[in-house]
Amino acid sequence: MKLGYIIREGIIGIRRSRMPFMISVFSLTVALALVGIGTLAVDNGLQYIGDLQADYDLEVFLENETNTIQKREIAKIISEYPGVFRMDYLSKEDAAALYNAEFGEDVLSLLDDNPLPSSFRVTFSEDYRSALYIQSFIQSIALLDAVDEVMFKKDLFDRVQGILKSIYALAAAAIFLIILSTVFLTANNLRLMILARYEFIETVRLLGASDFMVKAPIFLEGGILGFIGGIIAVLIIAGLETALETYHIIDLPVRILHHPEVIIGMLLFGMSLSALGVLKAVRRMLRFVS
Amino acid sequence: MIHFDKVHLRFDTGISLRDLSFDIQKNEFVYLFGPSGSGKSSVLNLIYMDLFPNDGDVKIFDYNSSAVKRRDIANVRQKIGMIFQDFKLLADRDVFSNISLPLELQGFKSNAVKSKVVRQADALGLRSRLTHYPSELSVGEQQKVALARSMILSPDILLADEPTAHLDEKSTADVLDWIWKVHEAGTSVLFATHNEQLLKQNPARKITLSAGEIVEDRSF
Repeated sequence: MKLGYIIREGIIGIRRSRMPFMISVFSLTVALALVGIGTLAVDNGLQYIGDLQADYDLEVFLENETNTIQKREIAKIISEYPGVFRMDYLSKEDAAALYNAEFGEDVLSLLDDNPLPSSFRVTFSEDYRSALYIQSFIQSIALLDAVDEVMFKKDLFDRVQGILKSIYALAAAAIFLIILSTVFLTANNLRLMILARYEFIETVRLLGASDFMVKAPIFLEGGILGFIGGIIAVLIIAGLETALETYHIIDLPVRILHHPEVIIGMLLFGMSLSALGVLKAVRRMLRFVS
Repeated sequence: MIHFDKVHLRFDTGISLRDLSFDIQKNEFVYLFGPSGSGKSSVLNLIYMDLFPNDGDVKIFDYNSSAVKRRDIANVRQKIGMIFQDFKLLADRDVFSNISLPLELQGFKSNAVKSKVVRQADALGLRSRLTHYPSELSVGEQQKVALARSMILSPDILLADEPTAHLDEKSTADVLDWIWKVHEAGTSVLFATHNEQLLKQNPARKITLSAGEIVEDRSF
């Protein structure tokens, strides 16, 4: 069976060209680990900033005389406003409890009456978190009768937004560069690996092998190479994360082992990169072999 | 089976073959005779479709090399056994793997592969060498491995490029004897050589080349 030959030859091929194979695995592992670490660093960074930003969403304070009907109307307007992801109502009692929790004093024991207003805490979904958009929201909500004030720490929000944008841009550029150098480095190593197989490729072609029979085992070899490289890269990243946590260097909200999609993505990227890389190198070589 | 019609082959370094026309029929034994550089290997490579003519037609079976598709070259080669001048044995594979390679490429089952390789090795006295690597063999033994591999698929045509060039008298006689047996079993043979002694021992049709031209084509 030809499939038997392809599988056998793919595995034997690895054994025969052990050194170039190991060099290719090493370079691919380094490259994939860099891509993985870069992606996770960005994810973790974004998670930190996202958590930070969530603390600075806005609060709509209501006038003391606001009745239940007005509150319902305001709640309806806010919840139906495009981009509002979450809205929580805080009654005067909730506000007093929060004050108590934060400052350790009961507001009612200080004053006879609870002066704290009821409010709505509003969180916007990620796509709508721009200062401009939130400003327009504030302007329209502030016009409502029962609304006393809308609190929004714009400066802080702008800074967070700015940091976010810079991180996005830097991360995109860094990952792009890593991927580019990964492709270049791996393609070169794979080309060297295939070059070492010239004698074999020429001979089997002369013995009547079709191009498919020449390419298929090497394609398989490339896939195995990518898989091994991907697995080692995942293990390196997981090990690094564990070390960071064990020695309390940093707490990572996002970890690779909690994201099978990242692991699968890295394996698929490694496998496609190396399988297509060897295929391209073989194709190029076959141009010189009749 | 093999048809050359006004074939010209030019290399960058100069003309190699001029106006070659001949036919080889099924079950024929033909010596391609001539000194080194006369164009014998080029003729074999044209038949093997490793080279292509600049002018004229080379037809092998139903394939014209001027119009052949790349995938059909593999089909042609599967029907031809070729003994290369430099053997083209794979240094990192043992004798068994070298001989079995054409069978593996055709998808033969492992039992069939084993029995065919062992039979072929027995016929050439290579049984005890099956686990050896080419570098562990004498030149004569390497030549025999190349012979065994070339005939493992029982091809219709055997092309032998100076198959006795590196051999001593005894090995030459063995190889020649074996090739004649292959021919008697029904395989057409094109045997390139510059050794006139071989022709005297086993006469057959002789095409003589000189400086890329046919100067003689006669049967003995």
